[in-house]
Amino acid sequence: MLLVLSAEHRAHLGCLPRAGGAAVGELGRLALEQLRRGAAPRACEAAARKLDIGVDTIQHGVEGLTYLLTESSKLMISEIDFQDSIHVLGFSDELNKSLLQLYLDNRKEIRSILGELAPRLPSYHNLEWRLDVQLASRSLRQQIKPAVTMKLYLNQNEDQTAQVLQTDPATLLHLIQQLEQALGEMKTNHCRRIVRNMK
Amino acid sequence: MRFRFCGDLDCPDWVLAEISTLAKISSVKLKLICAQVLRDLLGEPMEYEKILKLTSDAKLESGDVKATIAVLGFILSSAAKHNVDSESLSSELQQLGLPKEHASGLCRSYEEKQSSLQDSLRACSLRLSQLGLVRWRVDYTLSSSELQEVNEPLVHLTFNVQNRECGRTTAVSVTLSADKFRVLLAELKQAQTLMNTLL
Repeated sequence: MLLVLSAEHRAHLGCLPRAGGAAVGELGRLALEQLRRGAAPRACEAAARKLDIGVDTIQHGVEGLTYLLTESSKLMISEIDFQDSIHVLGFSDELNKSLLQLYLDNRKEIRSILGELAPRLPSYHNLEWRLDVQLASRSLRQQIKPAVTMKLYLNQNEDQTAQVLQTDPATLLHLIQQLEQALGEMKTNHCRRIVRNMK
Repeated sequence: MRFRFCGDLDCPDWVLAEISTLAKISSVKLKLICAQVLRDLLGEPMEYEKILKLTSDAKLESGDVKATIAVLGFILSSAAKHNVDSESLSSELQQLGLPKEHASGLCRSYEEKQSSLQDSLRACSLRLSQLGLVRWRVDYTLSSSELQEVNEPLVHLTFNVQNRECGRTTAVSVTLSADKFRVLLAELKQAQTLMNTLL
C-alpha cells in the first residue's frame, strides 16, 4: 500500500535535502519527541539556531516527518512501499535510506503510542459490598428484609467515578446467573472458532 | 482443596507459589516481618528498610520481597475476614507446605492482633455516609410579615454529613416547629430502643 503525500506535505519535507545528513538525524529526533511528549517550540528554535535554518522551516520539517512516520506506522506499510512512497519526493538515496531506518527503528513505539489514543469506555476498578438486613422502619416494625449494597468504582481516562447500587438477594442471584451465562458464551463452538482464527 | 482462610474456596495460585519463598526466610525473621505487615494492615506506617534487612540473609530479590509482603498481607487479612482461629490457620498453612515453625510463628503474631485487625476491617467496610456533628439552636419567633403576634418556638438543626472517600463534609440544615420536633424526637427514640435490643 502506497502513501499519497499531499503537495503541502511534500513542500514541508522539501527542506530536508537542503539541511544535510546530520540535520535529518536531528529533525528525526525532534519528530519522535513531538510524538512522545507533544510540540516543543523551544527545541525547534535551538535546532534552527544550530543548523542555521529558519525556525518555520524547521517546524514544518518536523511536522512533516511526524506525519510521515505516523501515517506509515498506522498503516504498517512494508519497506518497499515506504521506499516507493518517498521516492516521489526525489531525495538522494542516502536520505531515503536514513528515513527508512528512522521508520523501521521506531515503528513499534509509534504504534504503541497510537494504540493509546483510541477512546475508552469506563472500566472496572473496584467493587465494595455490604449485606444488610432491614429490621424495622418508621411505618412497619418486625420486618426481615435483606439487601445488598454495592459501590462500583469505575475508571475512565484517569477519572474515577463511584456508583452506589442496591439490590435484594434474588435479583443478585439473577445477575450472577446472567453474568455466568455471558462467560459461558466463550465456550460455545462459535466463539471458539473465532478465537482460534484470531490467534 | 477448600481452605477456611480463603473463605471455603481454593487457595489462589499465586499464594501457593509464594509459600516456597516464605519457607526460605528463617522462622524468627518471618515473625518480625509479620509484625511489620500487621502494622501496615492496621494503618500504621510500615518500615520497609527493616523488612529489606531481614530478607537480605535469604538473598531475596526486590520482587520476592514485595511478593512476601503481599502474600503475608493476604493470609493475615483473609484469615481475619473469615474469622479463622489461629490453630486452624496454622494447620491449613502447613497443608499448603509451610514448615511447622514458620506456621506457628505466623499464627502467634496473628492471634495477638486478630481482634484489632477485625476492628480496623470493620471500620473500613462500605459505608455510604457518616454523621459527624449535630448542632442545634432554639429560637422564639415574635412577629412576622404575615401575623403580628406569632410567639412560637423554633428549632434549627444542622447535621454535618461526612463522605469518607472525598473527606468532604456537607452541612444539612433543617428548621422545625415544636410539634414536628416532638414527633421527630419520639420516632428517633423508638429507633434507639430497637437498636438497643440488638446490641
